Amino acid sequence: MKPLALSHKALALFLALALGQGAIRGQTAPAQTAPKFKGKAPVSTEVLKIKLPRAQEAPLSNGVHLMVLEDHRVPSVQFEIIMIGAGGYYDPQDLPGLADTTASLMDEGTATKTSEQIAQALDTMAATVSVTANEGSQIATVTGSALTDQFDPVLALAADILLNPSFPEKELGLYKGRARAALEEQRSDPDFLKEERYAKTIYGSHPASSVGLTRESLEKISRDALVTFHKNNYVPDHTIIGVSGDITLAEARTKFENALKGWTKSGKPRPGVVDPPDSGPLKVSLVNRPGSVQTAYQIGEQAINRVHPDYDAMQVMNTILGGSNGRLFRELRELKGYTYGVYSGVRALRYRGDLRASMDVRTEVTEPALRDLLAELGKMRDQLVPDPEFKDAQRSLTASFALSLENPAELLNLYVVRQLYNYPVDYWDRYTDRIMSITPAQVQAVARKYLDPARLQIVAVGDATKIEKSLRTFGPVELFDDEGRTVK
Amino acid sequence: MKRHRLLLAALLVVCAAGLAAITIPKVSFSDTRLKNGLRVIISPDRAAPVVAVAIAYNVGSRNERRGRTGFAHLFEHLMFKGSENVADGELAGLIENYGGNHNGQTDKDHTIYFEQVPSNQLDMVLFLEADRMRSPAINRENVDNQREAVKEERRLRVDNQPYGRTSETVAELAFENFANEHSIIGSMADLDAASLSDFSEFFKTYYAPNNAVLAIAGDVDEKGTLEKVRQYFESISPGPPAPKLDTSEPTPKEERRATVQDPLARLTLVDVAYQVPGGLNPDIDALSALSTVLGAGRSSRLYDSLVRQQQIAVQVYAGVQQSKGPGLFYLEAMAAPGKDPADVEKAIYAEVEEVVKGPIQDWELEKARNAARRSLVSNLRSSLQRAILLARYAVFFDDPAIINTRYERIASLKVDDLQRVSRQYLVPSNRTVVVTMPAPKAGAK
Repeated sequence: MKPLALSHKALALFLALALGQGAIRGQTAPAQTAPKFKGKAPVSTEVLKIKLPRAQEAPLSNGVHLMVLEDHRVPSVQFEIIMIGAGGYYDPQDLPGLADTTASLMDEGTATKTSEQIAQALDTMAATVSVTANEGSQIATVTGSALTDQFDPVLALAADILLNPSFPEKELGLYKGRARAALEEQRSDPDFLKEERYAKTIYGSHPASSVGLTRESLEKISRDALVTFHKNNYVPDHTIIGVSGDITLAEARTKFENALKGWTKSGKPRPGVVDPPDSGPLKVSLVNRPGSVQTAYQIGEQAINRVHPDYDAMQVMNTILGGSNGRLFRELRELKGYTYGVYSGVRALRYRGDLRASMDVRTEVTEPALRDLLAELGKMRDQLVPDPEFKDAQRSLTASFALSLENPAELLNLYVVRQLYNYPVDYWDRYTDRIMSITPAQVQAVARKYLDPARLQIVAVGDATKIEKSLRTFGPVELFDDEGRTVK
Repeated sequence: MKRHRLLLAALLVVCAAGLAAITIPKVSFSDTRLKNGLRVIISPDRAAPVVAVAIAYNVGSRNERRGRTGFAHLFEHLMFKGSENVADGELAGLIENYGGNHNGQTDKDHTIYFEQVPSNQLDMVLFLEADRMRSPAINRENVDNQREAVKEERRLRVDNQPYGRTSETVAELAFENFANEHSIIGSMADLDAASLSDFSEFFKTYYAPNNAVLAIAGDVDEKGTLEKVRQYFESISPGPPAPKLDTSEPTPKEERRATVQDPLARLTLVDVAYQVPGGLNPDIDALSALSTVLGAGRSSRLYDSLVRQQQIAVQVYAGVQQSKGPGLFYLEAMAAPGKDPADVEKAIYAEVEEVVKGPIQDWELEKARNAARRSLVSNLRSSLQRAILLARYAVFFDDPAIINTRYERIASLKVDDLQRVSRQYLVPSNRTVVVTMPAPKAGAK
């Protein structure tokens, strides 16, 4: 049990602009319903003119795209090796969680090192190397960080983990034991039950509907499946390496060339994606969790992909609606006291993603809280966002750029996103102008398009004996148990 | 060659493994007390156009009286509901509209408010913090409203979560002194009982400038910033000194033990917590290094023994908090399905015995040293982290320089130090054991 401190609000719930892992972003704006500001605090109305330092880029000899953002303030280096085609999106249909299991086992033994040796080497240097492959994502990532004086041995270990994993049978057996327990434990977590049902409701049979391993797939996964997945999917074609911190482009280029020697192109085309099938008309999916004292809600519908022309207007809309001080927060937490936090977010990747809002409310206010939330969605559709609320949201999105200058890894992420989605070189230089040119009419148009009340999917996790009746007032209810099974 | 721009007084660190030595810059700062007693710490760093402000009040849940648990945290929520010159929601609105972040945090020992903004908004943040230090809007409507948000927070973190009741149970058993034993979030009944006069009284007692530390880090110049701080804060009247708080604990005489039946849990959790001193006790450094040896990462002893070798647990944790008052050294393991929690508990004690007996390997100590070195370096990167730590160390230990010296103290530890604290603190009479077991679900037939 970690020592506890309580925060005023959830920290940066949707702030992580993940690398194509589902870029979910929320920002801020005072709500229309907010009381008037007194306007006495001295503010500088000037948005700092930020010159973003550019990442330096170079190809490696095996075609990998290397991006480096130098920052010598602090003696540490972070890196990410991003492989398009090794993420959970490419799980075989009968083996959900294979990509994740492959990634999880890569550091549990290589041709020359045991799991214990790898763990001891990294822990002793207090360095990290981890491999992740998220559900629904196209990419797998080897992430590492080290103090400058330990970068070489850490990179050598990372390269060994990436190129020579041996997937020992013994480690797979141990992993399965831990995973069985984790599969059991996650079913006690209301957040997991919510995410699971939401993914299935929105994405149907699409790869994005997966929440990872199932009891069945866990038992079926063999060492051969891991070896094959690794061999076929961890290839340098279409790979991006991002390095930031106390290193130069020339140093990074030499070190990665050497470390990844022998990692040769497979000649495979860039793996593609398809859009998810339609998720159908409005319905309520209720997961029964007996003994719950809260109802955990996630409400949303399919929306756009990351390269859709509505993406920028969507960011502004999302900031106004569900940013960390947005309309939902002002109305449902600050005014009504229904919840500790309520936010909205946009998940946009290569395929059509979704727009969602989520909150946990006490059981007694299950009905009025949802009614108020739906009313806020209605207001976004029916009314133009007035000033200054609109301009505040635009400024919030653009002024926060200054903060990222402190963190080279965060800045570099911007350039990696640009590279992943083939945006023009000046994509982030023009970001401020693009956001500032969005109009209230455009925001209303995206609200009308993507907050369609007839297509909304409402997922609720709570004590069905107490909330099922009131949920029926919102639409047809499908009931599930906490094992994820339909209840007749 | 000035590569590390933070470098002001370089601290030479020679890595024990014989790798190339690197210099880790120190955090430089000024430390001033205003006429009204407010302590002001300024740490300039011009690398990015960002400034962070943290203001820590020397009050936490330990200062609460019986019947008013959860009060310090509820009061923290109230501080976001406006003040004489700032409307309800205006602080959050302004900071976020101008590209910043903000939050507040309450723990047993202190309450801290912090913001990070583009550096041209420093005046705004100082104005907002000064206004709520001077004149927060303590009224019935705001109190009732935030009471509901906090009760929702309790449901979210405790009542609706598996193992939510566990840490409350551990603390209640481990400590005798009310100041130490009750939870930060408090009970629903006490939250309901808090009256308006309680809030005014609490404000007068604890929210005076002489009971606070203001830390500013980032793209500012020291002199001009101190002038601004004086302009906004120095006219706030000081209060009487806050009452002295007795956090002393009687020496525990025997093991304390409880079982929690948790209808929301599915696996059994075993917690063993040893009482450890607070304050700037050097033993905490050794205990911190010991927790790294026992519980950090896959190379740790608990992971290797309980998870890998014996396969009786699926997760382990070890940790100790550096705090002002007495704290706990935690060892925790989640039992694998079907495994007897008694065996898990025995296996934890066996690892404690091994530490006492020795040997502790050189690499295990180096692991603890490097972990401290990494955290020293990551503190340098973020102005917000620097501001928070400077304010926190000043409030906890009256010594903000700990931000620079903590690593040196960890680096100087010897194997003997770890064994000595194991022998001293990790003994049966000093421990509290709580086993949280899955119980039949409420409403299940």
